[in-house]
Amino acid sequence: MAGQGMDRREVLRSLALAAAASSFPGFSRWSFACGDHVNGGAPTPRAVKYMPQFFSGHEYATVERLADMIIPGDGTPGAKEAGVAEFIDFMVAHDESIQYSFRLGLTWLDAESERLDGSRFLDLTAEKQTEMVEHIAYRDRYRPGEEDGRAFFQLAREYTVMGYYTSRIGLKELDYPGLRLYSESPGCPHKDDPEHRHLPPTKF
Amino acid sequence: MPGKIYDVIVVGTGAGGGMAIKTLAEAGLNVLALNAGRKLVPARDFRNHRQPYDMKFRGFGDPRTRAQSYGYMDNEYVEGIWEHEITYTTAPGTQWMWPRCYAVGGKTNFWGRSSARFGDIDFKAAQRDGYDVDWPVSYEEIAPYYTRAEQMMGVASTVQHRPSNPDGHYLPPMNFRCLDYILQSGCQKAGVPYLPDRIAQLTVAHAGHPPCHYCGGCTEGCDIGAFFSSPYFFLPLAEKTGKLEMRTNALAREVLVDENGKARGVAYVDRLTRREEEAYGRAVVMSASCIESAHIMLNSKSRHWPTGIANSSGQLGRNLCDHLYGTSAYGYLPQLLGQPSFPDNVSSSTIAWMPRWQNLENPHQESFIRGYSVYPGGGCSEFPWYYRHLEGFGSSFKRDVNRYYPAPISFTVQAPTLRSDTNFVDIDPEVKDVYGRPAVRIHFQWDDNTLKMWEHSKQVCAEVIRAAGGEVWGAAEHPELPGYSLHETGACRMGNDPKTSVTNHFGQTHDVPNLFVCDAGVFLNCTDKTTTISIIAFTLRSSEYLIGLFRRGEI
Repeated sequence: MAGQGMDRREVLRSLALAAAASSFPGFSRWSFACGDHVNGGAPTPRAVKYMPQFFSGHEYATVERLADMIIPGDGTPGAKEAGVAEFIDFMVAHDESIQYSFRLGLTWLDAESERLDGSRFLDLTAEKQTEMVEHIAYRDRYRPGEEDGRAFFQLAREYTVMGYYTSRIGLKELDYPGLRLYSESPGCPHKDDPEHRHLPPTKF
Repeated sequence: MPGKIYDVIVVGTGAGGGMAIKTLAEAGLNVLALNAGRKLVPARDFRNHRQPYDMKFRGFGDPRTRAQSYGYMDNEYVEGIWEHEITYTTAPGTQWMWPRCYAVGGKTNFWGRSSARFGDIDFKAAQRDGYDVDWPVSYEEIAPYYTRAEQMMGVASTVQHRPSNPDGHYLPPMNFRCLDYILQSGCQKAGVPYLPDRIAQLTVAHAGHPPCHYCGGCTEGCDIGAFFSSPYFFLPLAEKTGKLEMRTNALAREVLVDENGKARGVAYVDRLTRREEEAYGRAVVMSASCIESAHIMLNSKSRHWPTGIANSSGQLGRNLCDHLYGTSAYGYLPQLLGQPSFPDNVSSSTIAWMPRWQNLENPHQESFIRGYSVYPGGGCSEFPWYYRHLEGFGSSFKRDVNRYYPAPISFTVQAPTLRSDTNFVDIDPEVKDVYGRPAVRIHFQWDDNTLKMWEHSKQVCAEVIRAAGGEVWGAAEHPELPGYSLHETGACRMGNDPKTSVTNHFGQTHDVPNLFVCDAGVFLNCTDKTTTISIIAFTLRSSEYLIGLFRRGEI
């Protein structure tokens, strides 16, 4: 097709510009997650401990644990590998409107687990942690008096989803089809079945 | 030193300005273009090829400035391009969101690209239903200009024989996606049309421009110019004539008049030096966008024009109309659950539309007059926004997000308001912008007719989802704010009667024969179609009329 070679060069040039723009300081695991090593190949980056900008060390560890519970590594990488806790800390540090809710929610989580099980959330067994979160995550498991916890879970889940599915790992998990090049407008492959009643068996 | 006198000064370089500049310069006239912002550098300013993780705030934008954003198009990928410095005000009770792009090319850099012709059902709507007045232009008169606009822009679609939508000359349409075929089957059952949209996006190479490569992110700008925009399609052709001089960061203050009250130039402020400047011309074309052109003209007060230039009718700034936008229904198609991801959203385009189907045979068939259109969308998008409808956490939640990825769908309604005495712009008596220009003040409310369309569209779209075998998740609680659509029209209304309109049917002001308005301000209302291609068609016609005046020595 006439002119196509030219287009590709144009595209590659702007992709190179985008890559140059993507390096900013303060994101060890995040930039780690964005690196090509996920697909194998690139050298292992030097381990750098992330210093939270907003959360205390304990709060940050709790956020990291919660994010990992919400989107676990289970055959494909999860929130931890995608650096979601760093994303959340960065966003909360820049957004006064959610700082109180995060701090209140994390305090609630520890207070509630102390009340029920005598220790902070992070010190519970994995089973106990799951049980506690189930009560604030599923409508049919709700317990009275845990409204603050339920609101906090929705908030934590929202920011986990935001962080995970905008990372290289998360977009790969979805097989995000954008920002690729197509020679013609991608069309439905099942035109003989317009209502799509007889599609092949599903992936999930 | 006496200033140079140009043939024409054009204020603005978007759809209208770009078309005027190109047409006038190609006819050999000396054109000075004034543009309120800077020229964009596609490789630097268009970040459409960046992934979310390339962006500092992952595309969600800096939370500290998010409240000032003008909606989906004013986002982290185009930071610093939409206008935030120049203030405007709203009357008590008015909520008007006014996204303005003052960069060269204006909103055509980032527009939605839907490009349907207006028809006689729009131009003669008053004749049909008795509301308001007819346009001073018939479809027959404007049709050849639409054809030429389509040839210049490149519009992909099909011939559809719809009573509300005259057909034009089209490039091959974009292909329907899975969700289009499923929704089309639902629409058939619900008696609603579902057809390829008319979209100024190149499915094949056209007029020296490369075809689209369907990467997505089009509303962040296209750095290969594969959809129509003034800076890619019009301005280079004007520059080639050697007849165009462009001044950027030149914010128009007022139209200057001579001792007879005719236009003799434009006063502007250079936003970089803050110096006051004047430019002189034999004619002035206002293409600053609907509200901004009216704003500048209202601020152009003189002995001859005490309430603003060309405002003897008192209609300058009046008759503001807009499109109500909103999510009429959204949900998902269970047929697609768990299917492999598919590039549904790669052109981020309105691949399909549901063109007006109401009040076609009988103008009073529905509880409202006129009609609306709907744009369907959905499928695999950049961000899985539907996660809110999936309960829980852990591996099952993660799997659900994957499973639902191809399945979400939504419908956006585009419903026009009716002309009203209470919807208008004027000059705020107290507030000035940072350059000392008295600010424009907007008075606007949705009317009952439009709100009835909104309610109607919610019912129909939910019905379509169910008829297609889908599940409804809901509808937006409220429509988007007025102004959100970027389709405001009417503030410099055209008409045959100088007592009730600002310009004649050529966009020439009744009062000042060498002052033209070439943007959506001249339109009587916004119809159920988008405005850009009509701005271009009407401007082409106005520009050639203006060239005729020059040729005949009448200017």
